[in-house]
Amino acid sequence: MHIGRRQFMAGLAGTAFIGSLGRLNAQSVSLSVPWMGWPEEQVRPLMAAFENESGVAIAEERLPIVELFKTLEVRLQARNETPDVYLVDGPLTASYAARGHLLDLGELMAGERDRFVPTTLVQGTYNDTLYAMPLGTSSQLLFYNKKLFAEAGLPEPSADPAARMTWEDLVPLARDLTRPDSSQFGFAFENINPYQLLAVPQSWGAEVIGPDGLTAAGYVDGEAMVEAMSWYQALFQTHKVGPVGTFQTGVTQEMFGSGKLAMMVGGTWNLVGLNKFQDLDFGVAPHPYFAKGKPVTPTGSWHVGINPRTAHMDEATAFVKWLSTRDAMDLWFELRQYPPALKQIWEERADTTFVDPAWAIVRHELAETATPRPATPGYREYEEFLRTAMQDIQTGADVRDTLARAAQNIDREMRKYR
Amino acid sequence: MISSRWTPYLFLAPALAGLLVFKLVPIAVAVGGSLTGMSLMGDLRFAGLENFEYLFTDPEFWSSLKITLLFNLIINPLQLAVAFALALLVFQPMPGLWFFRTLLVLPMAVSTGISAVLFGLFLDGNLGPLNGFLEWIGIGAQPFHRSQEQALATLIGIATWKGAGYWMLFLLAGLYSIPASVHEAARIDGASAWQRFRYVTLPMMRKPMAFVLVADTAINFLFFAPVYILTSGGPSGATSVLMFQAYRAAFTFSDIGRSLAISTILLAILVVIVVLEFRLLRAPEEERS
Repeated sequence: MHIGRRQFMAGLAGTAFIGSLGRLNAQSVSLSVPWMGWPEEQVRPLMAAFENESGVAIAEERLPIVELFKTLEVRLQARNETPDVYLVDGPLTASYAARGHLLDLGELMAGERDRFVPTTLVQGTYNDTLYAMPLGTSSQLLFYNKKLFAEAGLPEPSADPAARMTWEDLVPLARDLTRPDSSQFGFAFENINPYQLLAVPQSWGAEVIGPDGLTAAGYVDGEAMVEAMSWYQALFQTHKVGPVGTFQTGVTQEMFGSGKLAMMVGGTWNLVGLNKFQDLDFGVAPHPYFAKGKPVTPTGSWHVGINPRTAHMDEATAFVKWLSTRDAMDLWFELRQYPPALKQIWEERADTTFVDPAWAIVRHELAETATPRPATPGYREYEEFLRTAMQDIQTGADVRDTLARAAQNIDREMRKYR
Repeated sequence: MISSRWTPYLFLAPALAGLLVFKLVPIAVAVGGSLTGMSLMGDLRFAGLENFEYLFTDPEFWSSLKITLLFNLIINPLQLAVAFALALLVFQPMPGLWFFRTLLVLPMAVSTGISAVLFGLFLDGNLGPLNGFLEWIGIGAQPFHRSQEQALATLIGIATWKGAGYWMLFLLAGLYSIPASVHEAARIDGASAWQRFRYVTLPMMRKPMAFVLVADTAINFLFFAPVYILTSGGPSGATSVLMFQAYRAAFTFSDIGRSLAISTILLAILVVIVVLEFRLLRAPEEERS
């Protein structure tokens, strides 16, 4: 077939048109969103709901907790346009904001602040400016396996915060529930993160950081901290009631779910997370405390922040704004059950979800015993060294030396904030 | 026409460009970067020797340096010895030789990361099969990488499992390059098996051994992945090699200056040690020349 000049030009124009359609399609925005490595079914539905409503695609990356922090650190320090929106651990707000990695959300959230439970806004705020929108808060409970308690002929712990168990009472109980012959342990914390373990020295009466928020020496290695962490070490090394070397949330949950662990201090996310273990019948009780000290429970949670250098500012702000809506927050609660950040969710679910005794305990803890992690721009460094120290202490390292070393390392890294 | 004087350089140009871009420039950037500091907002400033001064007064750095040197002092001769022993073993003709050779080089096919994860499971205190076995034969469970005393040795073991087969290949090639006539002559002269090994094989293996030792040292000074995956430098800093410190400074604490200062020191130590190793293994006739 002979192609004339006219046909050729028409063909060219047609090709160019189809090509431009392709480009138009490629231009539809996709937001890069590093997220926690929670199970896909607890993450994707939230993203999909926004995608359906806005037409903006969310490319979430689900990363294990330690990897999430490292990935964010590398990408943010490159100071370019990615990520667009990212998950901020409450106490890291100051660290990111001080280095210019968070967009001031004051304007975006103007008029919205009253909708939030006030304490949840505190950790997203730095220098009186809101930088990170709270997705929820958190609390920890003592989960116990009812079947293992019945088999050992032991009474179940009380769910009444007024009759809260002491750590002193828990140890003999954990011993009775430990069966080395069948690899069954009596008690463990869900992980070794300072978020969870700082409640131990704090209940003992320890100050875990200096009043300036930048001094570790004398606090991280202070006498009360050494005593409390020696108690923690004894759980594993002397009483041998916990699995040594088990540091990760997933492994501990698996052990508890499969009946290899009788008691576990863990977050409210387990209320839905443990459903996958069909043979498990568990109960919950308030977080234990030291008889000589006071009840202390961990709190604080994930927030969402915007990279001020994002190339998709409109879409990024729309996403965060959408996450703060009642519908998004309710869906998020449904998926992972962090204590809600919005007052409305607490009210709406007051007669349904929150009548559960577990939530009665959580409400009490959030009002009475919840103690946030230290407010310091150096929380990243503080947490990293303390986490390593807690691992070492659990596996049998000298408590005093380990904490002294951690304090020295933290103080070295804090110098850039002084 | 280009003068013939330049022709060799022209042929070398692509390789030289590669050397420049992939080796010399990064080294210059690292050394230059070690003299800088970064403000909280990301502004770079010239810091002179501040990073080095700070390192030299930091006990964590000295302890890490000590561990790196100790690690290398053990692992390099060990890997060379094991690789040489394996090479001698599979050099002898025997039935099914191909099977044993394959078995020995198989760890090469497993990536470092995967092998670290696998060993993590294998040596785990609660679920690991090795501890089950040790208990069964009455030795009792060992903490391995979870104990301050055993962690470094465990990592050395894992790295040797992974590396020995690879280095064996070079030494095996070296063994094949020794002319049979030399051995034959020694045999006719009445040399025993030990004497043939000591006075023929060993001296003729100097060059391949020097290569393996130097290349192995260069790799082991940069040993990192198993530390990152299995121990995070712990317990109590027992496996905190300099490479891990450099990584942590850069990617956890965003202190690029400190990280590059550590890398620069590492590079300097490596150069000194490699030069020493070359001298040590130089053939006597080369020394005279």
